[in-house]
Amino acid sequence: MADFALGLLRGGLSNLAAYLAAHVLLCLLPAFYIAGAMTALIPKESVTRFLGRNTPRFISYPAAALAGSVLAVCSCTIVPLFAGIYKKGAGLGPAITFLFFAPAANILALVYTGGVIGPDLAFARLFLSLAFGIGIGMIMALIFRREDVAHDRETDALFANQSKKGMRRAALLFLLVLVALLLSGTLKVGLLTDTYARLTLPLSGADRFQDFLSRLVPYDASKGEEGVTAQGAILIGLLALIGLTAWKGLENVFDGFTGWTWASLGLVAATLLVAALGMTPRAGGLEVGLTGKFFGVFLALGVLAILLKTQLSQDEVRDWLWESWRFVKQIFPLLILGVFGVGIIRQLIRPEWIESLAGQNTLPGNVAGVVFGVFMYFPTLVEVPIANMFLSLGMHRGPLLAYLMADPELSLQSILIVSTIIGRLKAWTYVGWVALFSTLAGLIYGAWVDGTGLGLIVLYLAVFLGILALTLWWMGKRNAIPEAAKA
Amino acid sequence: MLKIKVLGPGCSNCQKLAYLTQRAITHLSIEAEIEKITDYAEITKYPILSTPGLVIDEQLVCAGRVPSEAEITTWLVNALEQSDQPA
Repeated sequence: MADFALGLLRGGLSNLAAYLAAHVLLCLLPAFYIAGAMTALIPKESVTRFLGRNTPRFISYPAAALAGSVLAVCSCTIVPLFAGIYKKGAGLGPAITFLFFAPAANILALVYTGGVIGPDLAFARLFLSLAFGIGIGMIMALIFRREDVAHDRETDALFANQSKKGMRRAALLFLLVLVALLLSGTLKVGLLTDTYARLTLPLSGADRFQDFLSRLVPYDASKGEEGVTAQGAILIGLLALIGLTAWKGLENVFDGFTGWTWASLGLVAATLLVAALGMTPRAGGLEVGLTGKFFGVFLALGVLAILLKTQLSQDEVRDWLWESWRFVKQIFPLLILGVFGVGIIRQLIRPEWIESLAGQNTLPGNVAGVVFGVFMYFPTLVEVPIANMFLSLGMHRGPLLAYLMADPELSLQSILIVSTIIGRLKAWTYVGWVALFSTLAGLIYGAWVDGTGLGLIVLYLAVFLGILALTLWWMGKRNAIPEAAKA
Repeated sequence: MLKIKVLGPGCSNCQKLAYLTQRAITHLSIEAEIEKITDYAEITKYPILSTPGLVIDEQLVCAGRVPSEAEITTWLVNALEQSDQPA
């Protein structure tokens, strides 16, 4: 019994260590700073002014999707903006598009999905959420078009009176270099992954350190588990230091910058540079490889430092640091708990169960993925390690995508909040559509993974969208008659 | 006396805003009452698109970001001047 509990605990810890060391740093650390920069430096008006009542539909739907991916990373922003768009702005359709797109396509979710599971799934998630988000928005707007008319009489002053304030060029440049930093650390192209120079640090005992780590965190590569490297151990140490300095320097950033603030930024830079190096422990010492990544990260960090010093105002820097820290504080602890929990659960689930349920790209498999997504609630981003666990247990990538589409969109909690704003009937209709579309997304993507030709997939999609459009057109026509009669 | 409302569901931005507002009030040594509004139905009555929001005497002065203490002080002083005039 004690052995069993110890095994579970060890599973959780090794999963946590492997995630912190390998996946998180080069992708998630810059992503938090990008999310912070987006929130702090992009004026909300630059997007929301396209969400007013009088904006044509072909602008307001894409704008709603854009707002979802750019402005909304946490529910503090999602719910008021959703209510605003619905009640005072472009109406139910774009509000739904926004609601659907925000959790699936914000920078943190995309980067994390790409880094942990693979860029293919991140792109599938992005494109299918975009298409289906707009689709579901339009369907909802059409089904409930009569109630939406009532809203039309209310003003949209909230959206219309906004100045056309754009983004400052320096702030935009800063944001772009942050994205470049992320890409140079994570893109897997030869230019970046090749090693251009090697040097050996005379650290005796590096190889023994690695042996020690492998014993401490035993892993079984055949089960998809990952161990901790010497480099990973250094990174985990740096991460802990960042946490400490950030707590001292960023929590009180509104009282002014202190030495702690700069120390934490310096540590973040150092961590990214270490993570970009290639390290191999050898008997004679630690061999360090200077990769293209390292130079890319170094260059991006240098440009960022110059921009930070010379171009951004103190208020902008403060807001940026605060928002980034706020995301870290809000998301990271839950993510750590989630990853730890996933490591424990991983020991309890037999691959045979997953394989028989969703090992193939079948309709029941995809439905199972969706149902699990709807009834389980996980904190932001925890859906990704969970999906990765399913993948390593033998789940097909199709049902996996179905799960990833359904889980963040639908949880009992979000359904309840949404239904207080738009009413229970609309909320559950929305849930139904999301479940249907998620299943479909899984089936289509799964077929593509299984090697179905692109032409055939486009054909499936076209047939489905055609049927949908026809039904909507027919329903719209039926609804239009009584209205015409009234007038 | 000023009536101040901090709008937000209780995330860290709203807490920061309430804290900064309280400090601005203390520094100005004025009388004011801070109320935290966490109910979404109540929040959306104000013309606000994202939290946190700051309302002074039923006037929304800031939304969607955490302002600096200097800004809050300016708004408080303005609101005080306005409330003095009609009396």
